[in-house]
Amino acid sequence: MPQKFLSQAARVCVATALLCVPSVCAQTSLGTPGPVLRQFTDEAGRRVSVPVSPQRIISLAPAMTETLFALGVEDRIGGVTDFCDYPPAARKKPRIGGAINPNFEQIVALQPDLVLAQALTLNRRETVDALERLGLTVYATSASTVEGVLESTRLVGEVTGAGQRGEQLVTQLRERLGRLKQRLEGRPPRRVLFVVWHEPLISVGTETFLGDALRLAGAVPVVETEQDWPRLSLEEVVRQQPEYLVFASAHEQGVEHLLAGLKQRPGWRDLEAMKHHRVAIVSDAINRPAPRLVEAIEQLARQLHPEAFEEKEVTGSSQLGLRPMSSATATARNAGAGTSR
Amino acid sequence: MRRMTFRRVLWVCTLQAVVLLAVVVVALKLGAVPISVTDLVYSLGRVAIGHDSQLPSQFQVIVFGLRLPRIILAIFVGAALSVAGAGYQALLRNPLADPYVLGVSGGAALGAICSLIFAPEIPLVTPAAAFVGATLTITAVYFLGRRQGQLDGSTLLLGGVIVASFLQAVIMFLMTTLAGRELRGTSFWLMGDLSTPSPEEIGWVFAVGLAVSIGAIYSTSADLNLMLGGENEAIHLGVNVKRVKLVVYVAASVLTGLAVSVSGAIGYVGLLVPHALRWLVGSDYRILIPASALGGAIVVVVADTLARTIAAPTEFPVGAMTAMAGAPVFIYLLRRRMR
Repeated sequence: MPQKFLSQAARVCVATALLCVPSVCAQTSLGTPGPVLRQFTDEAGRRVSVPVSPQRIISLAPAMTETLFALGVEDRIGGVTDFCDYPPAARKKPRIGGAINPNFEQIVALQPDLVLAQALTLNRRETVDALERLGLTVYATSASTVEGVLESTRLVGEVTGAGQRGEQLVTQLRERLGRLKQRLEGRPPRRVLFVVWHEPLISVGTETFLGDALRLAGAVPVVETEQDWPRLSLEEVVRQQPEYLVFASAHEQGVEHLLAGLKQRPGWRDLEAMKHHRVAIVSDAINRPAPRLVEAIEQLARQLHPEAFEEKEVTGSSQLGLRPMSSATATARNAGAGTSR
Repeated sequence: MRRMTFRRVLWVCTLQAVVLLAVVVVALKLGAVPISVTDLVYSLGRVAIGHDSQLPSQFQVIVFGLRLPRIILAIFVGAALSVAGAGYQALLRNPLADPYVLGVSGGAALGAICSLIFAPEIPLVTPAAAFVGATLTITAVYFLGRRQGQLDGSTLLLGGVIVASFLQAVIMFLMTTLAGRELRGTSFWLMGDLSTPSPEEIGWVFAVGLAVSIGAIYSTSADLNLMLGGENEAIHLGVNVKRVKLVVYVAASVLTGLAVSVSGAIGYVGLLVPHALRWLVGSDYRILIPASALGGAIVVVVADTLARTIAAPTEFPVGAMTAMAGAPVFIYLLRRRMR
């Protein structure tokens, strides 16, 4: 009975709140001749009113900055975090501190009309709430799958008023993932250890976009866990003997240097993958829920399943039918020449 | 013990209040975004006489929406931690007692973390859970420190240190095994951090809790003076020792819980401020309690201002600041006493 009452009370509250929303909007649009607002529900379930074409956007995450550049709205970025390093032009934007501990003063001083947060997977809930209390408009994304990342990208395009660009970009990325899936069809996934950090050994859980990215690249973690960033025991990894070690880095030399060191250590030197140098090094883009993620997935797939890319190269390209006529006929002619010889 | 008059209390507190005010004005001026002194003083003056300030809107948000609430919170936290420290020092008759050393801050932090894991959506659950954690910890430490019915100074401190490290380990365990997304940034907060603005209602709860708890501890200050000579002696002098202990333990735990729930574990303030003030104004609790409240406020405001300006726009935790400055000063005071 009390539960029923509570749920009814909640419904009444929600109804009143909903009734209030349009009146509040009307007030703001009447009071100030300012921008026209659009209502969105962000991925953290918050109701947000965003100007139709925000002009000073602050990104609270490196992935968000990449997404904004990919959407072609980089001119409207007003501030980025200290860690936003891609594309290189992002470094020239004003800095607002770290993603976990941004500088609120700096953010306010930049007078953003939209703040984009990668909530729950990077930025803290407290940060989002605090910015909201300061009267700023905060839109939060939250993706735990690769498809979720693409959907976030599309929505961010919509929120920032990037026009058709978001839809197009996401459609292209989905097609690329579709082609990759075809290539890997029927191939048993490689058992891998994704090394987020080597000391202590930290890997990635299955419930994250990164875990999903590994799956799409035709890999399966040797130790499956639902924690986001599990600390694994090296002992267990040695027992499981991953087929491949996967490192993510912007600098391949750095990883090679690290591997040379790890090869000497007990535990690491007992891994078959280490002995035979079955190591995949992918771009650090795989760590970021942004459009480049798809490229990193392809890169990883190529290293884990090289044979899938060799044999299907010819048939793959002719099947697609996307190539210009001349090259498609050229391929056909070559094939014909091969048989006639 | 120096003679204590009402005039002396007034003198000391006025002097401290003036210093605090000066520190607050400087703290309002300094920050990642530069604001000129004239602009600041002019708009403060306007606000003081009830007008709107003339600052551009974004500066207004920075000064009155960000810096001022943060400074007020720093004042609250500083006052809470030092009065809690002074209270524990009186009850345990140990000048080295402090919420941090005794593990009470750790208990409050564990409580706060549990609330974040299990019920993050309930409002005000964090300060309440921090209070419960603080109370349970001080109770445990108190019983660990007893030997044949008497409190033993070194056993108590050792008990506190061990409980603190145990709690630290439990926090570590929870963070590595349960670390959901809600705990992101918790390690930053654990160090002692005031950088994320708190909701206004938390500020009001804190203000009320602070006033009531400090008032409660202050109301027992004459009895605490008598208890300095020993509990049995105080009983003979007519002090209701049980009541005094209950009041001070609960109030000090409330203060620690409040401070930890908004700012994490800021060390050394509760230990150092009453210690330094005892040396400056004497150990009469009727003056030491208000002086500690104001002194703690000054120290935390200064520490937090340094923490947010030293490497601006990057901030580092205020707890690291107090520990870095506090530990050497503490050693200095300790050696001075021994001489």
